[in-house]
Amino acid sequence: MTTAANAPARNLMRPGEELVPTHCPFCGMQCAMYMRLDRATGKVVGVEPRYDFPVNGGRMCPKGVVAFEQINHPERLTRPLIRKNGELQPASWDEALDLVAGRFRELQGRYGKDTIGLYGGVSMTNEKCYVAGKFARVALGTRNIDYNGRFCMSSAAAGANKAVGIDRGLFNPWNDVELAEVIILGGSNTAECHPTAIGYIWRARDNGARLVVIDPRRTPTARLADVHLALRPGTDSALVNGLLHVLIRDNLIDQAFIDSRTRGFEAMKELVMRDYAPDQVARITGVKAELIEKAAHIYGEAKTGMVMYARGAEQQSKGVDNVLSYINLMLVTGKIGKPGCGGGTLTGQGNGQGGREHGQKADQLPGYRKISDPEARAYICKVWGIDESELPGAGCSAYELLQAMGRSEVRALYLYCSNPLVSAPDNNSVRQFLENLDFLVVADFFLSESAALADVVLPAAVWAEDDGTTTNAEGRVIRSRKAQEPVGEAKPDWWIMREISRRLGRGQYFDYDSPQDIFEELRLASKGGPADYSGITYERIERENGVFWPAPEDDPGADNARMFTQRFAHPDGRAMIHAVPYRPAGEVPDAEYPYYLTTGRLVFHYLSGTQTRRLPFLMQQAPEPFVEVHPDLAARLGLVHGGKARLRTRRGDMALTVKVTATIRPDTVFVPYHWGDRLSANQLTNPALDPVSRMPEFKTCAVAIEPVS
Amino acid sequence: MGKVLFIDYERCIGCRSCLAACRECGGHEGRERNYVVQLAPGITTQTAPMLCLHCENPACARSCPAEAIKVTPEGVVLAAAREKCLGCKNCTLACPYGIPRFDESQNLMMKCDLCYERTSAGSPPMCASVCPAETLSWVDEEVARERVARRSGGRVPRDFNFKAKVITTAGLGGWGAADFSWEGVLQDASD
Repeated sequence: MTTAANAPARNLMRPGEELVPTHCPFCGMQCAMYMRLDRATGKVVGVEPRYDFPVNGGRMCPKGVVAFEQINHPERLTRPLIRKNGELQPASWDEALDLVAGRFRELQGRYGKDTIGLYGGVSMTNEKCYVAGKFARVALGTRNIDYNGRFCMSSAAAGANKAVGIDRGLFNPWNDVELAEVIILGGSNTAECHPTAIGYIWRARDNGARLVVIDPRRTPTARLADVHLALRPGTDSALVNGLLHVLIRDNLIDQAFIDSRTRGFEAMKELVMRDYAPDQVARITGVKAELIEKAAHIYGEAKTGMVMYARGAEQQSKGVDNVLSYINLMLVTGKIGKPGCGGGTLTGQGNGQGGREHGQKADQLPGYRKISDPEARAYICKVWGIDESELPGAGCSAYELLQAMGRSEVRALYLYCSNPLVSAPDNNSVRQFLENLDFLVVADFFLSESAALADVVLPAAVWAEDDGTTTNAEGRVIRSRKAQEPVGEAKPDWWIMREISRRLGRGQYFDYDSPQDIFEELRLASKGGPADYSGITYERIERENGVFWPAPEDDPGADNARMFTQRFAHPDGRAMIHAVPYRPAGEVPDAEYPYYLTTGRLVFHYLSGTQTRRLPFLMQQAPEPFVEVHPDLAARLGLVHGGKARLRTRRGDMALTVKVTATIRPDTVFVPYHWGDRLSANQLTNPALDPVSRMPEFKTCAVAIEPVS
Repeated sequence: MGKVLFIDYERCIGCRSCLAACRECGGHEGRERNYVVQLAPGITTQTAPMLCLHCENPACARSCPAEAIKVTPEGVVLAAAREKCLGCKNCTLACPYGIPRFDESQNLMMKCDLCYERTSAGSPPMCASVCPAETLSWVDEEVARERVARRSGGRVPRDFNFKAKVITTAGLGGWGAADFSWEGVLQDASD
């Protein structure tokens, strides 16, 4: 019925080489690829498509094609560095690790255990993320650990937990998209941010599917939409309430599904019928009422449909509200838990899914257990072999952890796999927070903007230098393989944490010799939790091209690729429909700051750009950030294409090259965020946090703009 | 009939993965031989890959005074043979698409050879292997025609009419039914 992404095909083999099967280190698609290994040198020298892997069939975005170039990149960190006389200078591992352990011990002795913070990332394998959570609680005994997924997946996670009782990014396998008659994308520029996912959407279009895109910009994704709802940034929940109003008013809902499988419909109905008629919604969102009617009818009249959302809706101070609104669309129409019906969030980071399930998050223990749950604490303490009194409680969220450093409540930071000086909002303040630390340790494989401030820099292995598993956007646990030895003296993050633990006298809890050792413990620790990996083994992943979780050991035949076919994950088996009144964003335009600023990704770069800004092909395509301005706004402000504009918010200001384009709302400007220092869009963004998910509001704030002569 | 290179233009997302992948094919020496062009910049985000479609009677080869551009039995129009290429650029001027790319540093014309090492062994060229939007694919001709036909009104020509001349190619270009016209301005309902 549909054409596969690629038919199986043979790879081009060069003499003296072998192909190592692995996955891309970048986004949540986790596309399969081969690394070309030169046998004589033991080095990775290129990439080949992996035609036989079901998710991407060999297809890759430009980041994936050139990812291998970072492995043996000349700027790799190859030795530990210690700051001496103000300069980072090479040191031995022993010297660096002794210093780290000694300073941590000294500061904890003086200020208490929680004075050490850990700030991580989910570009790491499940094994590394699991060890990080345990390292914080067991080796350091601190409650203060959180990670950059707080800026990525936290709103989607909180929303899914409230609505359907479990947080697995997509509720469906990717190939369900091809069965959908209609696809709604809320705040997702799928084409640029998850490029191989757009293949599924375009294939659905080949089958006749209609496409509705909700985005202030006419992106390469929105370009082919049947209906493009170009809303004002920050008004998603109002817009979706308008869609719900039309669906209920015109009886395009599935009352039998609502009655038998959900709770909360009546309260939501009362709210949207009273306050969110299309003309009311048009005034809030700036979207014509007739387009709201049209989109609702396209979705409501279709037999099958998927609703997918991403950072555009989630990176707001009401990101959770927006997610609940999008899930409401699935629930009132019964378009969930069936072939071609469902959806969910498009995971941004490579292991954004698995990395948030196994204890790296401030309030979580492995298996997606709550650290406040006495039963969960008892179980994990038993697995770890510690007394429950030793296990700290919940810490604070990523941005609040940075703020705690500014107040000297946290005096030392172990920062790994993340670059908050570029990726956190209001990063002029973040620089002050980092500079206020007594001791900053950074483990990374390039000297990122954040690492440049460190007292100790530890050289970490890249993805292709270690084995392990990741969990992709659809909840499929897959295996990355070590293709070559780490360059220089670089070491995997789990090795570094193990060695620090040994120096802190806690080495007996980290007795791992390989990622597989860690995975076996992770299986046990996750057993019985919502994200149950106990039935997953390295061998099974290989045999089945990945395994979807939950995969309990005692139910080996369970097929959870498509979720909620029979019941939702709340105790009563029902999903919760939420009444979501619209709240304005943390900051809206006014006389002084008259326009909306929204930020986001380009197809050529990944997150803070630490990796992609070092890859020549990608820098040739996108060397620097810019500001997208509509021609009407450009004319009003006297801006010209290729000229410079100064953007000013209450947090900071920056000059950018102007790109005049009719593909954005006239009241909104867009800046990509992948650059550092004076090119960083996050000098401008607003750290207003979602009350539930603690997600900062990257996607909308108020900005003033003027030409720079 | 074997598989053909099919360009389904409206799918293009402008990611240039085809260029990055072209550099990675054996024998391409890290240089790409294809292009992606931005259509109407500032008006639309539509982009389009510009690839050699391997003409049946290629103007590039016919214009070459040194007969450096060979056509294989399968109809693949190869890059200029290094030892023969004079660096005259006749081929770039002759090609109606401007595909042959001249490398000043080597005084050599390089063009798409359809990843001959791969395609002659039955595998897709690198660009069509990786293209995440499936703008480029290596498919049976019927698959291409059927795919575009399902999006009503699409057409998949292999004859390209340049007024005075019709160029016939081995590869296929597909135009879907999507409306490429642009409203111009995103309207604000409240204004």
